Amino acid sequence: MSKLNETDIQGFVLRGYNLPFARYLFLHFEDSARARALVGRLLPVITTGQRWDHGKPQSTANIAFTHRGLAAFDLPEATLLSFPVEFLQGMKDRAAILGDTGINAPEHWDKLWLDNHVHAWLGINGQSPEAVDARCSQIQALMQETGGAMQLAWQDAAAIMDDGKPTSREHFGYTDGFGNPDYLGVERSTQPGQGKLMPDGTWAPLATGELLLGYADEAGELPVAPVPHILACNGTFMVYRKLHQNLATFRAYLEERSAQYGGGMEKLAAKFIGRWRDGTPVELSPDWPDPAIVQDPNRNTNFTYGADPQGTRCPIGAHVRRVHPRDAFGFNGRLIDRRRITRRGLPYGRPVPEGEPASDAEDRGIVFMALNASLSRQFEFVQQQWIEYGNDAHQGNDKDMLIGNHRGHGKFVVQGDLSATNPPFLCTHLPNFVELRGGDYFFLPSITALGMIAMGLVDPR
Amino acid sequence: MSNINGKVYAMNAITPMKPWKTWVVRAIFFTLGHVKSLQQDLINLSFIEFARWVVVPRQRFPYLGNGQVKEDLKYDYLLFFSNFNGTWNQYIDAFSAVLSNGLNLVWRWSEKFPGSVPVTLFKEYIARVQFDTDYYFTAYPHATANDLKSAHIVQASLDSLVQRAPNCTPEEFRSAYLNFVIQVQAHLGDTGEAPVIF
Amino acid sequence: MPNQNGSVYGLTILSPIINDERATPSHDLQIRNYLATVPTGEGSPFALAPGTHLARLVVMDDVIYVGSPSIEEHLHSKYLVFESNCDGDLDSYLLGLATAVPQHLDAIWSHCVGYPGAANPQAFAAYMKACQIETTFYFAAVNDKSVPETLRALQTQRAVSDFIARHQGMNAALLQAEFAQFATRLKSEPLPASGSMGPLRGLKTGGRNE
Repeated sequence: MSKLNETDIQGFVLRGYNLPFARYLFLHFEDSARARALVGRLLPVITTGQRWDHGKPQSTANIAFTHRGLAAFDLPEATLLSFPVEFLQGMKDRAAILGDTGINAPEHWDKLWLDNHVHAWLGINGQSPEAVDARCSQIQALMQETGGAMQLAWQDAAAIMDDGKPTSREHFGYTDGFGNPDYLGVERSTQPGQGKLMPDGTWAPLATGELLLGYADEAGELPVAPVPHILACNGTFMVYRKLHQNLATFRAYLEERSAQYGGGMEKLAAKFIGRWRDGTPVELSPDWPDPAIVQDPNRNTNFTYGADPQGTRCPIGAHVRRVHPRDAFGFNGRLIDRRRITRRGLPYGRPVPEGEPASDAEDRGIVFMALNASLSRQFEFVQQQWIEYGNDAHQGNDKDMLIGNHRGHGKFVVQGDLSATNPPFLCTHLPNFVELRGGDYFFLPSITALGMIAMGLVDPR
Repeated sequence: MSNINGKVYAMNAITPMKPWKTWVVRAIFFTLGHVKSLQQDLINLSFIEFARWVVVPRQRFPYLGNGQVKEDLKYDYLLFFSNFNGTWNQYIDAFSAVLSNGLNLVWRWSEKFPGSVPVTLFKEYIARVQFDTDYYFTAYPHATANDLKSAHIVQASLDSLVQRAPNCTPEEFRSAYLNFVIQVQAHLGDTGEAPVIF
Repeated sequence: MPNQNGSVYGLTILSPIINDERATPSHDLQIRNYLATVPTGEGSPFALAPGTHLARLVVMDDVIYVGSPSIEEHLHSKYLVFESNCDGDLDSYLLGLATAVPQHLDAIWSHCVGYPGAANPQAFAAYMKACQIETTFYFAAVNDKSVPETLRALQTQRAVSDFIARHQGMNAALLQAEFAQFATRLKSEPLPASGSMGPLRGLKTGGRNE
């Protein structure tokens, strides 16, 4: 695998920018010629995967399209029909498959998503709110000049701050952002535990084709992709989900249940997801958080579950064990290597410090974005089989404790041992700690493909 | 008419084999059947409830007279019937990812078998030789193979606690009960509806 | 004996379907039409008769042509495939079917060549065995439990899960008493119906909120 052409790949795909402020614009195209003109004008503004030799820029901009958005450019039918069916349908029509039912069903989503008008996502990240504003104004000016797109809505998001410094915490207080995989050819400070498990116990990067179209994947073939090849190559698919967090419900549930739990509140919180709230993996340190582990890149993602089949350290149904099972399903992890996703995103809404009153009704949550070569094989599989169902983890119909659509009936077993501080414990009547408020599937093209779209030069073969 | 009932999927496949190769396949299955360690991967895969391969030699299609015309075939046929949990794609993906050697050993004697890796060619072949189920029954549509194994563990643990309990003091019972909970704690997943097939 | 794996039996039957050009619709379609109406849940003939874990009925229209350079060939008959994963002894299983659900069997197999009817269970069993093909390799994830044992275990698992949840932190003497009651109730609980979605959450497991 030679080095990837970073100048042709959108930067958002290759790296988490680690910029604390973001605004996501949702656009609608009204006229194909004007929309193409806008894309042409945006091209020089789009942030690529090129290394930042002169330090981080003040802000970045990236763009992705729904299937309806691509159709609005008048791409050839043969090309439009060659996209995978789940992308053609969009996330709303996949609700039953994804378990987005009940309170998470599309009829409860933000109005933005209800009438299928979203054609494009334009993601802006910045070092400060002013930098985001400035970039946003620049792009809005281009939209006005070309008349290429109408802005339907926007979503602001920002890292939760500690004394003015951005943290990687989310609203429930957990440290987030450990899980992203390494891929062949993607330059990144790699660390053990982030790729795939090898027979000798070491970790290696995943095949590039698990993230990018046009490269071999873990099955030793090119991922399913639209035609022509050049439109697909160096592109990827993105999931956007606005996940509302019921902070009051979460805190009340944790407090109430931990009153009966021998390990105490923080340990129960850690058992829920498999990491202490500071990020320490429970598998490595089952009894207390250990900042030394969190800060050590050689340890904070470097663990397996093979020695803990009963879940007495990290519960079998804990969130991180479900969504990244490592070796938990046997076969040295080979059953999971084609189910990995790359996560992006930031919290939105006002954070509420521990101890201050919080309400579920306030607009607060996380913008979850995931990148993968195949929406159905990767994101949808994880969402359906590992979050909304538990058979692979030998947990029957039990759902993911943290983000499952429980409807008040959920159950989570904290496995334990004979000690008083690590007893077996059942959490029942789980409510929805998280609710879906909308989203869709997007195609994030390469710079070359954006150019082809702008010029109206896409041939199906 | 459906290949699906609750949490199980019924797959049927038929592939032609040159008759001399049938003997190789029989020998392979004989070995597989008698050396249990070779079945370990199938067991570990854990989402197959029952599966079988049936060799039908070309002169051995049931013939019952009564006006039935005798078959006149050049190939022997290998039938495959599987009862698995999860989606078709998940099943074939997993087969290809972790059982490719075993599958190649069994199916490479069938005409036009492309090998079980890469997976897309393998899927195309399976899709071509698969035929659909008219009627499918399971005694426990709400359970997977994993659910069944868990349930049997819980039953055995409960039976043993029920036997002990009457002879225990409350304190002895408390300790026996805690041990019981620890025995079953990884096997308490709910049974119920299957996810939507996709 | 590859048909048997532990205490479960892998039965494979191919019954030739009558090929009569005067029949409308053809016999294979009549089987298909009938099968489409047979209940697949607890009303299934395989739920009413004892001993079936999983079973399927498939009209096999023909062998499949896999493309050049292999030879294209066709069957003279269509076959009704009966694949069953059942408990124990084949004879008692077949006699059990003939005794419990003869109307269903007749409605299905009367379209097959030489079918004697299920009114005489011995003749039915003999016919089925004449159509049997020996299974070459048979895998069973669980091979030592009968259908009733399995249904019982699934019921127990659900009840135990509820019991544990409702008795967390209870004092030892009370726990012991509640457990004794629970064990007695569970034992006298009727088996959930084969083919059903399992026990309802009706069983009282004591503890909090009850």
